[in-house]
Amino acid sequence: MPSWKFPFRKGTLDPQYESELRFHIEKLTEENIAAGMTREEARRRAMLEFGGAEQIKEELRDVQRIPILETTLKNFRWALRFIRKSPSFSIVVILTLALGIGANSAVFSAIDAILLRPLPYPEGDRLMELRQVNLKIQKPQTRLAPVRLEDWNRMNSTFQAITGYYTEDDSETSGSLPEKLKVAYVAPRFLQVFGVAPALGREFSPAEEEFGGPNAILISDSFWRRRFGGDPSAVGKHLRIHSSSWSIVGVMPASFAFPDRDTEIWLPVPANAPYTQHREWGWYIAIGRLRPRVTKEQARANLETVQAQLGRQFPETDADLTPGVVPLKETTVSGVRSSLWMLFGAVSLLLLITCTNIVALLLARGAQRQHEISVRLSLGASRLMVVCQLLTESFVLALTGALVGLVVAGAASNVFRGLAKDLPRVEEIHLDGRIVLYTLVCSVLATLLCGLFPAIRGTGGALSRALAQASRTQVSARTSLQWFLVGVQVALAVTLLGGAGLLLRSFQALGRVSPGFDPQNVLTFHITGSYGETVDFKKLGARITRTLEELRALPGVESAATSIFLPGVPNAYQNELTVSEGAADPNRKIVAETRVVSPSYFATMKIPILAGELCREDGNSSSVMVNRSFANTYFPGTAIIGRHLQEPGNPLFPGGEIGGITGDAREEGLNREPGPTVYWCVSGPEPDPYYLVRTSMDPRAMAGALRRKIKEIEPARSVFDIIPLEEHLNNAFGENRLRTILLTFFAVTAVSLACIGLYGTLSYSVTVRRREVGLRLALGALQGQIVKQFLLKGLAVTFLGCLAGWGLAAAFARALSGMLYGVSPSDAATLLSVVLLMMLVATFAALIPSLRAAHVDPMQVLRQE
Amino acid sequence: MPIEKSDLLQGTLDMLILKIVTLGPIHGYGISQRLRQISKEVLLVQQGSLYPALHRLEKRGWLAAEWGESENGRQAKFYKLSAKGKQQLRKEESNWNRLAGAVASILQTAQ
Repeated sequence: MPSWKFPFRKGTLDPQYESELRFHIEKLTEENIAAGMTREEARRRAMLEFGGAEQIKEELRDVQRIPILETTLKNFRWALRFIRKSPSFSIVVILTLALGIGANSAVFSAIDAILLRPLPYPEGDRLMELRQVNLKIQKPQTRLAPVRLEDWNRMNSTFQAITGYYTEDDSETSGSLPEKLKVAYVAPRFLQVFGVAPALGREFSPAEEEFGGPNAILISDSFWRRRFGGDPSAVGKHLRIHSSSWSIVGVMPASFAFPDRDTEIWLPVPANAPYTQHREWGWYIAIGRLRPRVTKEQARANLETVQAQLGRQFPETDADLTPGVVPLKETTVSGVRSSLWMLFGAVSLLLLITCTNIVALLLARGAQRQHEISVRLSLGASRLMVVCQLLTESFVLALTGALVGLVVAGAASNVFRGLAKDLPRVEEIHLDGRIVLYTLVCSVLATLLCGLFPAIRGTGGALSRALAQASRTQVSARTSLQWFLVGVQVALAVTLLGGAGLLLRSFQALGRVSPGFDPQNVLTFHITGSYGETVDFKKLGARITRTLEELRALPGVESAATSIFLPGVPNAYQNELTVSEGAADPNRKIVAETRVVSPSYFATMKIPILAGELCREDGNSSSVMVNRSFANTYFPGTAIIGRHLQEPGNPLFPGGEIGGITGDAREEGLNREPGPTVYWCVSGPEPDPYYLVRTSMDPRAMAGALRRKIKEIEPARSVFDIIPLEEHLNNAFGENRLRTILLTFFAVTAVSLACIGLYGTLSYSVTVRRREVGLRLALGALQGQIVKQFLLKGLAVTFLGCLAGWGLAAAFARALSGMLYGVSPSDAATLLSVVLLMMLVATFAALIPSLRAAHVDPMQVLRQE
Repeated sequence: MPIEKSDLLQGTLDMLILKIVTLGPIHGYGISQRLRQISKEVLLVQQGSLYPALHRLEKRGWLAAEWGESENGRQAKFYKLSAKGKQQLRKEESNWNRLAGAVASILQTAQ
């Protein structure tokens, strides 16, 4: 049969064939010479008699070849037959693998989409986020002034182009009700830097990026579908923002979600407008596209030179600044990296447990097939051939498992996307060719992990032993190996369970902290405001104060306040302060968390005032509040009320008298101890602060009444993001929750698998020892003794696994330490309860086969003999 | 009349080779000479059949082979019987004897 053949060691063997055959010909020649022929004649006759040496060599090569294709097909046919013949075994293996591989592929698809792939723009790896950095101030990284952005763009030689953006929530007022829109204000060259064109319509024209040019905007795909029903004639229509009319020139593709997926409008900011010429006003987060083959370091060095030049030119504003260059992808995804890799590690451990489980199953299976294998070997099959055939079986099982696993992964991916709404790039998670390929690689690895060892062991020395011995005498050695595997599974399961336990404890600890404020029954929302209002802070303050008063008058509202930040949602904003009267310790810098709130904030959040009185906000002078931690840290034992605080370099807060001391509240995040904090009492520090309203009933029920009230007093503004504070707090720790849920799920799966492994191995052990058990029962052993014997065996192995798992869990916990809160990575109570839980579950798993052993009918066993 | 390989029963050549090799390490040429001499020139094995058979038996582990010096000092490949080969030969011999006995008795009865 013609077949594709693999020339096995051809090169090394050919010279040997050659000399072996030549020897034969020479002997024939000698024989002929001895018979009286001439040397010439003798050689000619010898060659003739010998026949075609080349042909013989070819045949010798054939002997060494393995007809791969033919054998493989045959192996696959056998494997399929084997699977058909033992459906329950195959289904168990396939489903276990499907779970292991599917979970792994699902997490990998998230890692691939979020961490591994470049950003979804052409050559997205060349996009860099640029900041201006001033190391002399507390928060060194600041936004870039538009005019400086233009300087950088003009003077550098390493970027193709530099652009920038900032976002704002604005009201669109062309409809019957104002609609809140998220607007990205973009510097010139925005689309050029991203290398993306509108899906419909066109880019901004140069005139539209000039001051005084026509008003033009681009809209997002989702806004286009929502507002215009996906009608192409939307291009050319007008929207009303900031009381002027803007013409829609294009619709961006659905895949374009920058700065984020909520952005609905892109609006160009002219570089030559009078209000963009101030060097000290930071507006933009800048994005630059590197020229080809330019590294980040070269770009940074180049921008440093540019900035140094600007520093000489504008010493007042530019001398202290240096550029910061970070890959855009890095700033997008760096926050979730450790969580994702942790989950991938966990899910890989799960796959390892799955494979271990299957190794045990295959070993048990191999014992039953001992006879078949030895017959094959004795009929002349080489060990390699039998190993190949067994591996093919594992591979077919693994491949089927992987295919089912892909379905599992698809479902799991959807769940993941649902759980992880807040992760960056989560909308990019798809099952595609790469994931399929990864899954296939997984199945090959699983084949080798699961199949190789049982195959080699199953065929080792089988010929001599298996035919000579009855299979039952070999069982003990085999089960000791299986017990080892059970121990490994238990150890890995305990590792995962330990990690999950620590995360759960952290989660609990976070829920139990007393935050120092009362988040219940507080509704938060925004009312659109525009930065144009900051030209007159008095007017802005009056507008917001009036809104707060109106809100307070609503029935059901206990109090209303504004704040720049939400309490308890992680957000650090530290500033250095000075005290006019001199600090208690002149050498000590006063650094405090800064909050800007309306005076009503403390009543609304139920933060107690411990000393002094509530701050006032009466136009010209403003007073400040400090928390207890501030007073105790910087002014221990001295009177602090009445002193004056200044924040140098902040024109908004010219300084204020300390009016009172408040209780400590976890302003910077529920997971952080309260530090020294200063509250500036300004109701309208920016056009769009958070509004916080304490309600006497369920805060959600108030949303409608609030909306109607705002519409009544501010018809041109829209209310948005109406969310109870507690929900904000939950979302703030969403990543925390995601990894806790997933790791717990993996751990529970791992424990189930380990228990299945324990159950299976114990059942197998009971089956092969039926004779012995039957005999012992017949000779008067008590059922209780039999149960105890098997149960103890199972529990002893589990216990050893737990001990090993404790060590592994300690190592895993160290990797988790950055994600823990309120619990130490080596928390003995957690690990101990994990071990106890494992032992408890294992007892149940072991009890069933142990009880079955005790119910062996001695008569039946003896009759079988 | 000499019998060529194609007329030999399938597998018979293997058995004959194994048998010849029991006498001690021997090279391919030696095996073909022995076969001819012992069968009194009846069995003429073509080299084209002999060498593939030798290599096949070696691959199955029935023959062990090593390079050594021949009578006249040249390098030759010597074959000898392995433990597995001995077992195989015993099996094939007994099979053959049973078969030959059966055939003989049929031929006698038919006379």
